[in-house]
Amino acid sequence: MTTGDERKDAIGYAFTAPYILFLLVFTAYPLLFSFYLVFHSWDLITPPEYVGLKNFYFLMHDTDFWQALLNTLIFLAIHIPAQVVFSIMIAMALAEKIVAKTFFRAAFFLPVIISGAVVTILWAKLYSTDTGIFNQLLGLAGIAPVKWLTSTGLAMPSIAVMATWKNMGFYIVLFLAGLLNIPAHLYEVSKIEGTTRWQDFWHITLPLLRPTMLLVVVLSTFGAFSLFIEPYVMTGGGPLNSTMSVVLYMYKHAFLFQHMGYAATIGFALAAIILLVVLIQKKYLDSD
Amino acid sequence: MKKLALYLILICAAVSFIYPFLWMAFISLKSVGDAGARGLLSSFFTLQNYKAVFMEIPIGRALLNSAIVALSTTASVIFFSSLVGYALAKLRFSGRETVFMIVLLTMMIPGQLTLIPLYTLIVRLGWIDSYPALVAPWMISAMGILIFRQTFISIPDDLIEAARMEGCGELRILTSIFWPLSKPAMVTVGIITFMNSWNEVLWPMMVVRRQEMMTMPQMITTFSVGGQSGGELGVEMAASMLLIIPILAAYAFFQKYFIDGIASTGIKG
Amino acid sequence: MRTVFFTIIFFLFAGSSGAIELTYWTSSNPEEIELGRLLVRQWNLSHPDVQVKMQPIPATQSSEEVLLAAIVSKTTPDVCSNILPAIMGRFTKSKAVLALNAFPDYEKAVIGRTGAKLADLFRSRDGKLYQVPWKCNPVMLVYNTAIFRALGLKPPKTYSDFARAAETIAADRNNPGRWAMAVSIKTTWWQRLFDFYPFYVAATGGRTLLCNDSAAFNSPGGVAAMTFFRDGFKKRYFPMLGFSGNIFLEGKTAMDVAGPWVIKYYRRLKPGFEFDFAPIPVPDNYKGPVYTYGDPKNIVIFATTKYPKQSWEFVKFLISKEADLKLLELTNQVPMRREIASDPFYGGFFDKNPLLRKAARQAQYVVPMDESQHLVQILDIISGQFEAAAVYAVITPEKALAIAAKKTQALYDYW
Repeated sequence: MTTGDERKDAIGYAFTAPYILFLLVFTAYPLLFSFYLVFHSWDLITPPEYVGLKNFYFLMHDTDFWQALLNTLIFLAIHIPAQVVFSIMIAMALAEKIVAKTFFRAAFFLPVIISGAVVTILWAKLYSTDTGIFNQLLGLAGIAPVKWLTSTGLAMPSIAVMATWKNMGFYIVLFLAGLLNIPAHLYEVSKIEGTTRWQDFWHITLPLLRPTMLLVVVLSTFGAFSLFIEPYVMTGGGPLNSTMSVVLYMYKHAFLFQHMGYAATIGFALAAIILLVVLIQKKYLDSD
Repeated sequence: MKKLALYLILICAAVSFIYPFLWMAFISLKSVGDAGARGLLSSFFTLQNYKAVFMEIPIGRALLNSAIVALSTTASVIFFSSLVGYALAKLRFSGRETVFMIVLLTMMIPGQLTLIPLYTLIVRLGWIDSYPALVAPWMISAMGILIFRQTFISIPDDLIEAARMEGCGELRILTSIFWPLSKPAMVTVGIITFMNSWNEVLWPMMVVRRQEMMTMPQMITTFSVGGQSGGELGVEMAASMLLIIPILAAYAFFQKYFIDGIASTGIKG
Repeated sequence: MRTVFFTIIFFLFAGSSGAIELTYWTSSNPEEIELGRLLVRQWNLSHPDVQVKMQPIPATQSSEEVLLAAIVSKTTPDVCSNILPAIMGRFTKSKAVLALNAFPDYEKAVIGRTGAKLADLFRSRDGKLYQVPWKCNPVMLVYNTAIFRALGLKPPKTYSDFARAAETIAADRNNPGRWAMAVSIKTTWWQRLFDFYPFYVAATGGRTLLCNDSAAFNSPGGVAAMTFFRDGFKKRYFPMLGFSGNIFLEGKTAMDVAGPWVIKYYRRLKPGFEFDFAPIPVPDNYKGPVYTYGDPKNIVIFATTKYPKQSWEFVKFLISKEADLKLLELTNQVPMRREIASDPFYGGFFDKNPLLRKAARQAQYVVPMDESQHLVQILDIISGQFEAAAVYAVITPEKALAIAAKKTQALYDYW
């Protein structure tokens, strides 16, 4: 009997061993090493130097980091509400009985599967002040060209709009699944009571979509804090650092200045902030 | 009347989602002088932009690199994740629950935390500018493990018992019974992994410097940002088209899996 | 087993006794590859026992990154001739390069060629010399002679001259939309090496950015240079657009800031294009010779070499009188050799290439960048403040330089 158990154990371990090994090397080690790095200054060439809390001290006083964090939060503040509102609207339209539903769904989903690099390069052309389609359309309406990516006030919102466009298809599908899960009889009841569709939306649809909402908000928070390739391609973080995201700032420290310790500290702080934001979101959206 | 408004909204939205890509495709097929023209259609189409891409940058090599990286990552994720998924679903061994908890935990670690240490690890291993750098850190995915575990749990134990009676090893059972029975899960995991790997740009930008080792998104980004394209719109768009065509082709065939798979797992690139 | 071992040893020795092989990395631009090939061929013919293998540094990114990566992975070559002196700080700190003044004939070979004053600029802070000053590209004002002739302009010597010239160019009704000069609005650190830095060097009579590990640029000269660019953007002498392509060559701008490397480039792209060099404009009250950023590239021997002596011999070959002439001829860059402009050995070349004579004269008044491990970051900081004070003019030049100086100080305080 014991031998049988041991044999089973052995197979179980054999099947999970590659994963454990993988985990140790590519997750556990970097995780532990990040704790080491945040207390060191290291340029990859000379031996790491213990600096105590200097990295954190520098971070606290690094106005560029706080600006990058603020930029990222601005992005978040535009991107997530826009994402939620427009995705729900289109999902509700798709939930109606309509023809070519599959086609519409596929069309909205298209940008999701396309590389962010390509989407960004493409939109940089659409946003171009002189030749972009947005300013051409405005020109037809007799409106002067807008500096979508070259003015400090508009650059980050423009990037947020593009990111919303890129990811919306994904959230539409999530909301659509959420909507279809709402039992139809709930709406029947309200019909009898003679409520308006707007009231239905506020009192039935929205509360029941809450779990989906939480998922959408948390996922797009994770996504938004990873903002990198969009400003890298479109603005390089400018103008006047207005689109410098935290990840782009971390990348700059790691690969332009070779400050591995400080870059790891930025990553560390960002991870803490992400978890904090997600906890807050959970608190407000999860409470029933 | 209401329906009409509904369709109007949907059609407008759909156009705004498709038009940019159409514009890109058409620009890539127009000659240099024509590219500035506002409308989509042109008097004639040409492949000269595509030729220019192949002349100016080693895009063929980048396509090959991307294919090697994305396909080997996908194969590895399917194989190893299903292995672990099978162990978690069907094998009994002490520590199983712990492993499962770890899988769930790793999904909650923000990638930004481990990115820099992971890069320094790659440097120390001497893997800069190599396929292992691009593939190894992504060989097994927690998401894949969860999907396979979920799928395998619903497969009845009788099948395993019967196979064991016939003297099948566990690996045989996994590959010849469980795999064929969970094709949708495999396609889903495969598509998500392939798509993420194919589109990934930050990681290659960290661990690859030599042009010959660049993947497509990295190559196109440096081509566009580095000014090598000389600001030629058509050429840049042609390079971008080469990157998205394989994904579009896969999307055309597996559209349902793309949408349902990605949405049901809540994972995206 | 033992036989196998000895056989291996035998082959190892047999292999190495045939000929020593040195690896030599050059810049990847076509002219320098051509030069490298030529010199290496000559060397290999006359040195059958020390064969040199040449390899251009991959061009996808800056050579600094490639070299740093090579140091990390210990795959550095024996000799490299594309070293930006500014990054030497990190090389010496990591002991990746050899101190060359240890060679007995260093004085004769290097000081004799370059002169003590210029060579001293490349002395490391520990007093040793790790690099051989090789060549420079004095950054100067380039102007389109056809435009200047048509408008009756002379190359501007001072900021006021520049403003007058810019007004004249803007007022030219025959060519509306032409700009005085294009200044990059991008904030990539090295962009400032072709606008703020040379103007700063000129305005201060040859100062570099740092002095004793603290910012020296927060000075009247720095403010003057920053104000020059601020005024230029404000008065629209410089376009505020991210142009691509070479708009100077297309005649859309009348001036540019560049080094003599553009001579070959312009002639290749647009034969018959007329242009000339002039010193960088200086503040109106400036007196004295006009200095500029020299964009020097030097030669080093990496510490990984197994053959320091042979490498040194090869380096001396690279800076010989004949090699310097080939350098002039093939790359149109200026060897850091004292009084080269008046040396009869090169007279024939300069007679045929008056533009390069100007560059060679300017080469007597050049400075490099400071040797500092923080240099890239300092230039990045200055670049950010340049954007704020000059491009968008949201803060004053004084404020911008004060912020940059403070941030620079923070780097030295914390790291």
